[in-house]
Amino acid sequence: MTAVIHASNLSKWYGNVLGLNDVTLDIASGITGLLGPNGAGKSTFMKLITGQMKPNIGQVTVRGRKSWNNPVLFRDIGFCPENDVFYEEMTGWEFVTGLLRFYGYSASEIKERAAKALDIVELTKDKDRLIRGYSRGMRQRVKFAQAIAHDPEIVILDEPLSGLDPLGKRKLIKLIKEFKSQGRTVLVSSHVLPEIEALTSEIVLVHQGKILAQGDIRFIRELIESHPHMISVRSSDPRALAARFVGDRSIQKMSFGADGRTFVVETHKRDDFFGCLTGAVLEGGIEVEEISSPDDNLQSVFEYLVGK
Amino acid sequence: MNAIRAIREVFGFFFSLGRKTGKTRVFALLGLVPVILAVVVRVVLHGRTGDMAAVFTEILMVFFLQFYIVILALFYGTSVVAEEVEGRTLSYLITRPIAKPAIVLGKYAAYTLLMFLMVAVSLTLSFFIMNASRLADARPYLTFLSYLGVLGLGILAYTAFFTFLGTILKKAILVGLVFGFGWENIIQYFPGSTQRFSVVHYLKSLLPYRPTGGGGGGVALLLFRLEPTSPAIAVLMLAVVAGAFLALACWLFRMKEYLYEE
Amino acid sequence: MATIREKGYSHWDGQLAERRFPWWPITRVGIRLAFRKKAFKFVFAGAFMPSFFALVGLYISERLEDFKAIVRSNEALININPKYFKTIFTNDGLLFLIILVLSFAGAGLISDDLKHNSLQLYFSRPLGKKDYLLGKMSVVFFFVLILTAVPGLVLFIFKMIFAGSFKFFLEYPWLPLSILGWSAFLAVFFAFYVLLLSASSKNTRYATILVFATYIFSNVLFGILMSIFHKPVLALFSIPANLQQAGAFLYGQKLPFAFPAVWSFVVLAGICALSAAVLNRKTRSVEVIK
Repeated sequence: MTAVIHASNLSKWYGNVLGLNDVTLDIASGITGLLGPNGAGKSTFMKLITGQMKPNIGQVTVRGRKSWNNPVLFRDIGFCPENDVFYEEMTGWEFVTGLLRFYGYSASEIKERAAKALDIVELTKDKDRLIRGYSRGMRQRVKFAQAIAHDPEIVILDEPLSGLDPLGKRKLIKLIKEFKSQGRTVLVSSHVLPEIEALTSEIVLVHQGKILAQGDIRFIRELIESHPHMISVRSSDPRALAARFVGDRSIQKMSFGADGRTFVVETHKRDDFFGCLTGAVLEGGIEVEEISSPDDNLQSVFEYLVGK
Repeated sequence: MNAIRAIREVFGFFFSLGRKTGKTRVFALLGLVPVILAVVVRVVLHGRTGDMAAVFTEILMVFFLQFYIVILALFYGTSVVAEEVEGRTLSYLITRPIAKPAIVLGKYAAYTLLMFLMVAVSLTLSFFIMNASRLADARPYLTFLSYLGVLGLGILAYTAFFTFLGTILKKAILVGLVFGFGWENIIQYFPGSTQRFSVVHYLKSLLPYRPTGGGGGGVALLLFRLEPTSPAIAVLMLAVVAGAFLALACWLFRMKEYLYEE
Repeated sequence: MATIREKGYSHWDGQLAERRFPWWPITRVGIRLAFRKKAFKFVFAGAFMPSFFALVGLYISERLEDFKAIVRSNEALININPKYFKTIFTNDGLLFLIILVLSFAGAGLISDDLKHNSLQLYFSRPLGKKDYLLGKMSVVFFFVLILTAVPGLVLFIFKMIFAGSFKFFLEYPWLPLSILGWSAFLAVFFAFYVLLLSASSKNTRYATILVFATYIFSNVLFGILMSIFHKPVLALFSIPANLQQAGAFLYGQKLPFAFPAVWSFVVLAGICALSAAVLNRKTRSVEVIK
């Protein structure tokens, strides 16, 4: 798949502090989640992509064109910054229409696009209020509206769900997913793992300026061979069930839950374990209530990689 | 979108935004001071036409030339770039399909027009209040236009310089204050050609007034120790100052990256 | 397809490239390190003194007649007495420099806190409004006293050292009190003044302009009114003129303007009272949104 955004040996220093450390990365169309703790380099990377900063070493291109001092590129890019800042003396309508002026649209087209964008983020009713009087969630939505009003092919969202209530987050997540179905490229950053999980399975993990991992979260997990999978089994007689696995060499560790009904195993051979579990259940007649993988999520993947 | 259109759109955006801010209201109110003074003076000096004209030229023009336009240019000029960086709204502008110099030029044009309007209203009201009894005569109108022209050129030149300062320095206001109220005031006392290293020298050279032979109580305040440059050269120099510093500001803004303070 | 990359340390992994001037970073860092030493900054600035004095000499040589006239008419510059101290510490130049320093150091004292909503952070600690304001004011006190009280007392002491006797002190025993009194008065006034304007805006740049412009504007207004009406009492419109009137009173010298010094004290106290009222209102832990 052709990369929409390509970074090659990209490095950025802030004085003596290394913000981005020799990053080489391709981002294809669809939704890609950029995940990492605060200070990992996510915003730095996004600012380099959107031409707000110049790389010290290496380069970043969007559709084959460098982003620094290349304003033509921004016809196709929409950027939603992380900072909660606006031209506070403006209304939501003035803000969105004002910024649309810079695309060369006619007056009627500006109005049409602004109305559509504000409708998408459900701010039509409040469009004539000053942004100064908006709630945090409304401010986040109007920021999003200015990023999509010109119908960009590529949308870069820096912590777009920050400050939103759960309902607001759900709506925005749904909206972002619609972009994918329209064939657009969306790069979303967050330090909140469940948010990224809800949006996409294609992730890039960033930590201390370096890319730790990139790809589908499940495959990433599978590749972490050094760390065994964790499986939790809830049953009527966990100890009896556990006893059947004590001699199994593929089991690395076993522990019991405080509730007295679960036991947790760590194993490198997950499929083998499930096979044996099925057999043990049938032979022993033990009732199994629930089987889950507590670490089959982004949090665990990230913790494994950071701790690796 | 071509460069001219881009500048025009940026101009429109910031002109309408600039009009609404509280700071513009404060500065516009400051411009009422000479108007109030003009009314007061007219009442006090009722009938003394010559005195009133002299008061305007020698006194109120000091307010306009050496205080009002400097303060306005300092605030708005440094705001062209610094406002966006401090307010962190720069991201909204530089991620649009417009060249960076268009942002500087459009915003400069918007703020310059805003300042010119404030100064023009203040100057018009105060001048014509002071010269109300001479309105049938053509000369006051020519004098008024000269003053307006001088202040307009001053706004253009000072704002361009302060825009350049705002592009290059974090503490542009302080350097601007030292320049506007330190250097510009002191340099006029320096001998020879040193005076020519100031904007105010060229503005004063354009004033439609020259010290009388006796020196007297004439325009001592404004034209003290002035060794004037010819008007043509003065206009040229002001245009060069404005053009050069604007060009530098555009170039710097294009090349520099601005990091927000955490 | 997924890839895991090795998590290494935070050194840079790329290839080292050759630089055109490889010595330049060494030079740049060396210079920067020198300026980090505080003493160096003073020494470096002092090293320009000979050149500065040479420049002054050059200027004087061009305006020799003017300077001869100034020296002839200004005995205060050569006779060291309380008038000398009053001239030094109440002159326009020093007050202008103080205002410049305070524009730099003081304009953001409250405006930055308003901008970043930090007042709630302050007042959620065991810190009252008085402590907060006293803390902020002390910043202004520090800078003003460093520029007035310290050099004033040092000059007083050096006068006696250079004279080799306590004669100067015996002649003017109240002078150190005048120096301290004037410095303290100036420090308190400027603290109220700067904080009043700093609290007027969340924009520090605008607050800086306000601090400076209000001071200058008051003097410009006085100059304009004086030129028209020729009445010394109009000096009450000017902050520096009021300060000079108060300073002359505190040094026991002839007042520069023909009206009672107490009027200047009233005007300056009025500004302080206005400031106190505004600061009391602005420094609330809870923001009221209308």
